[in-house]
Amino acid sequence: MSVEEQIKEIIARIVHVDKNLITREGTFKDIKADSLDMVQALVAVEDKFDIEILDEEAQKFQTFGDFVDYVEKRLTEKEKA
Amino acid sequence: MSLKGKLALVTGSGRGIGRATALKLASQGADIVVNFFRRREAAEQTVKDIESLGVKAELIRANVGDPAKINEMFDVIENRFGHLDILVNNAASGVGRSVMDIDVKAWDWTMGINARAPLLCAQRAAKLMKGRHGKIVNISSLGSLFVLPTYAVVGVSKAALEALTRYLAIELTPQDICVNAVAASAVETEALKFYIKEGLIKDNRQATPAGRMIAPDDVARVVAFLCSEEAFMIRGQTIIVDGGTSIAPFIAAEEVQ
Repeated sequence: MSVEEQIKEIIARIVHVDKNLITREGTFKDIKADSLDMVQALVAVEDKFDIEILDEEAQKFQTFGDFVDYVEKRLTEKEKA
Repeated sequence: MSLKGKLALVTGSGRGIGRATALKLASQGADIVVNFFRRREAAEQTVKDIESLGVKAELIRANVGDPAKINEMFDVIENRFGHLDILVNNAASGVGRSVMDIDVKAWDWTMGINARAPLLCAQRAAKLMKGRHGKIVNISSLGSLFVLPTYAVVGVSKAALEALTRYLAIELTPQDICVNAVAASAVETEALKFYIKEGLIKDNRQATPAGRMIAPDDVARVVAFLCSEEAFMIRGQTIIVDGGTSIAPFIAAEEVQ
């Protein structure tokens, strides 16, 4: 399963929404997620991929696509390290 | 007070009170297990600073809000060291909301990290402390006793932690383990800066009768004392570190100075 699909699954589980409602262009606001949902999603993704997501960076995410791109970037950096 | 040869686990010791506590215990000779969850860089710095004091440091990443991760962390400690002398339950989190806005998720998240995790850590730690005169110190806050803005669920979780401290203190007596808590008022940490920035509390850095803000080291020193044999007869207590603020609510700090 792709990184994007795995992230979608995690968010869907935490926010209790249908995975298909989570799109690259969508936002946490679109699926009525609150700030704790966002923190829980970050934490779950960090745990799943064993990466660190900086809070300052997370605040810049406009869409789920930004979130996925950031995680993929961190995973590439991790592989190189 | 020497802690030479002792092994201490300090949860959430990458930053703030946890980091200060880890360094204080290390300065007294203890080897330290540095637990962190989200800020690896800060935790790695804590490890370096501990090692520069001439003792050993072990870094373990674990989200203490997840019982399975707590078990994994203790499995590592058990396999690598086979024992533990000191546990400081410091890691904490919380959702800043008023009572009427607390939902099940916010409650479970906060209680899971601030009250359940210390219980689960103490249960595993107690087994590793057999015959070693173990010490457990829980880090609480004045929000357990006093009402602070948007602090309801954290305050309740800290009240639970202080009650847990009393039960652990009595029920772990047969295992020769001393259990206490330290409750601080606003301590100058990154977490506090957030509360001030969001306008949730006033920036009252001068406002303690003792004349200055509480620093992480002030808390760390009390924790270190409670981890020493000198504190042997103190059991199940919550020691307040607040520069006198809580006992002088009607006196402005500047009147004392």
